[in-house]
Amino acid sequence: MLKYVIKRVFMVIPVMIGVSIIVFSLMRVFSPDPAPIVLGQHATVESMDAWREANGLNDPVVSQYFTYLTGALKGDLGTSYYTKSPVTGEIFARFPATIELALAAIVFATVVGVLLGVVAAVKKNSIFDAVGSLFALVGVSIPIFWLGILFIMFFSGYLHWFPSGGRIDVLLKPAEVTGFYMVDAVIEGNWVAFNNALDHLILPALALGMYSMAIITRMTRSSMLETLGQDYIRTARAKGISETKVIGKHALRPSLIPVTTVIGLQFGSLLGGALLTESVFSWPGIGKFTVDSILKSDFPVVQGIVLLVAVIFVMINLTADLAYASLDPRIKYSSKKER
Amino acid sequence: MKRSAHLLSLMLALALVVSALAGCAGETVEEEPTAEEPVAEATTADTFTYAQGADPRGLDPALVDDGESSKIIVNIYENLLKYNDDSTEVEPSLAESWDISEDGLSYTFKLREGVKFHDGTDFDAEAVKFNIDRQLPPLVTEEMGYAGFVFGSVKDVVVVDEYTVQINLTAPNTAFLANLAMSLAAPIISPTALEAGDNSVMENPVGTGPYKFVEWNKGENIVLVRNDEYWGEPAKTKNVVFRFIADNSARVLALSNGEVDMIDGIDATVVDQITEGGGELFEAAGMNISYMAYNTTTSPFKDQAARVAFSQAIDREELVKSLYQGYSDVADTILPTFVPGFDPAVEQVEFDAEAAKAGLAAAGVTEVHMISYTNPRPYNAATGVSLATAIQGYLQKVGVECTIDTFDWTTYKEKVKAGDYDICFYGWIGDNGDPDNFMNLLSDPDPTMNVARWQDPTYQGMIKDALLLPNGDERNAAYAEMETYVAEQAIWLPISHAKTLAAYRPEVSGFVYHVTGNVFLKNAVVEVP
Repeated sequence: MLKYVIKRVFMVIPVMIGVSIIVFSLMRVFSPDPAPIVLGQHATVESMDAWREANGLNDPVVSQYFTYLTGALKGDLGTSYYTKSPVTGEIFARFPATIELALAAIVFATVVGVLLGVVAAVKKNSIFDAVGSLFALVGVSIPIFWLGILFIMFFSGYLHWFPSGGRIDVLLKPAEVTGFYMVDAVIEGNWVAFNNALDHLILPALALGMYSMAIITRMTRSSMLETLGQDYIRTARAKGISETKVIGKHALRPSLIPVTTVIGLQFGSLLGGALLTESVFSWPGIGKFTVDSILKSDFPVVQGIVLLVAVIFVMINLTADLAYASLDPRIKYSSKKER
Repeated sequence: MKRSAHLLSLMLALALVVSALAGCAGETVEEEPTAEEPVAEATTADTFTYAQGADPRGLDPALVDDGESSKIIVNIYENLLKYNDDSTEVEPSLAESWDISEDGLSYTFKLREGVKFHDGTDFDAEAVKFNIDRQLPPLVTEEMGYAGFVFGSVKDVVVVDEYTVQINLTAPNTAFLANLAMSLAAPIISPTALEAGDNSVMENPVGTGPYKFVEWNKGENIVLVRNDEYWGEPAKTKNVVFRFIADNSARVLALSNGEVDMIDGIDATVVDQITEGGGELFEAAGMNISYMAYNTTTSPFKDQAARVAFSQAIDREELVKSLYQGYSDVADTILPTFVPGFDPAVEQVEFDAEAAKAGLAAAGVTEVHMISYTNPRPYNAATGVSLATAIQGYLQKVGVECTIDTFDWTTYKEKVKAGDYDICFYGWIGDNGDPDNFMNLLSDPDPTMNVARWQDPTYQGMIKDALLLPNGDERNAAYAEMETYVAEQAIWLPISHAKTLAAYRPEVSGFVYHVTGNVFLKNAVVEVP
């Protein structure tokens, strides 16, 4: 088991090198020259060239890549061309917001998704099944940004239940410890700030989690149906074990194995793919920042974010795979068996 | 049966979502005052919230070039000079008065005494010298985008005494005074802060202005607090929050909800939404010009008669009205109305389809190659393509076939530089509000600035002479004369000046939305009943 974990952790290295080469090349091939964007309306040919020289953009691409890689290995992701601030600072100023939102969304998606999936499977072909399937269909089909706008218009614009965007009323903001406002508010014991942060979080989390919720519902339903058809479930029922126990203990646990993988993958994509939700809800995370940086040809920022998201993605996959083992004791990892 | 089950399930699903969300809401509603409460006397709110579309690039005026930064900068910093509230004429600010030497090469400023930066550092002649020196060779870097524009004509800065500073120029340049009022490069930063920040105050600005910087939550907001030691009358509202809301309609909704007090960066499409939500609209004249330029170096438009005839075919009144729905004004002059040198007597080529037809036939113009840009620009919200297509339509009526090649903005600039066109579409956003900033485009040797590629010695002489004249009637008349000359030559066809749109809550008053696009919030208040 330990050997497997170590091996998986080391697998991160080739993945990171691959990712960094791809993003590095893509930015340089497809992005416009950053010099006129950085230097603005009054840039001259000479000043642009001097700037490129100072930022190493006149060097051969391979040597640029190795300079970058050496820096990255030391934890230095460079300086943003546009804001002139260190990339790590820029990313970590925004990353807690993205994690907070993705966590809230995945919690919502998991709780509601598993619940709907189980109910739909147990009460197959009933009204509950129909409602669950409808929910799943709607969740998969509606574009997130559109749903976000509808949520804002209805719950914020019409009902005035929630604010239309942002993370918290800035004057209520708790002292920064973790960067997660709700956690910081609890640490400070400031319940007004906690409620305010929660109010800001609910709509974007629902909008963002809707798609994952739908996927999880479907996955849970089909997995649960398959398990419920197994012989040992029939045996359990025949033994007179209560239906709650049969479903809750004997059927649910094995059914959750594929669902766990899906949840892990969904969480990864929520971290990297919250762009539209972040834009619609003015959520100050890295999604929006990534696109802005791509449009400004801000190479160091884009490279930094992509690397970070790749690391996280790989780690989440690993965690999901490890969670398998605890859910299914039959799984024994050997060095040959890989996913 | 099956259908009714589906319908029932749909209704149940909706009910579930609504009730689930209703359970979570609670707290936000109670803030609204109830009708029974006695109405207190009108007071003002502690916080003024302004929403814009994006984070500023940074808050060091020497290192940024964008409008989002500029709006925040003008509330934290001050300059030696400032613009009049309604125009781009300059007035004293940190400099109380100034003298210009006979030869126009030496400007001596008498500084305001007793002014302190937010960090307690004294404002004096040394501080001014420090700020300008950092943007002159050898200290200037290529990342100081406006250093060359604002201080390019400065030879050196001499501290005469504690509160007198002399700036010497390499050549006379009356526009220099307007440069000193700009929100980029020219604002005076605390030398102590610059030394502490390794020659940059991008994230910890320290100025002398009515508001002090508190914090910047990246992607979210910037918080300012009133400078109680301000040398003038202190700001009326205690806190100012600049919020960043990227989505246009979300920004409008935040205004309608009362979450923010004022927004900008809006376009004509959301105007109804704003007024329906109880917001007030603010239309400011914009410091910009959108124009059509003839390539004066090649046939057919190196011939003045051909240019005039082509211009005659276009009904600009109708064109601007239909393209911009009232959110741009027809440009009868290159200079916007509030820039010194503007003269309402200037006349562009009049619309006359018959004369155009005859003129174009006489000049042998039957086919014209146009290039244009596909994206909206600050001076042309309708995109260059829409503008070009509209003009193509007018020309079709007089028997001229126009082909239009379109490009994204970056590629477009390359195409303009290459010069393979008969007609191109361009625009300019004013930097310093001086007439030279607009009019010298037509004398610039660089074809990416002077897109008509017009090299006229008479005009170039006029530009040079006007830079030597002191601000006042004589100089203004010189620019009016240039406008008339360019209009007669029909080098450009000025199309429109785009208005800047902002919106605010009806309880808001006192803000100054300047023609440069900057918002001064010193006197802004939000009344609460």
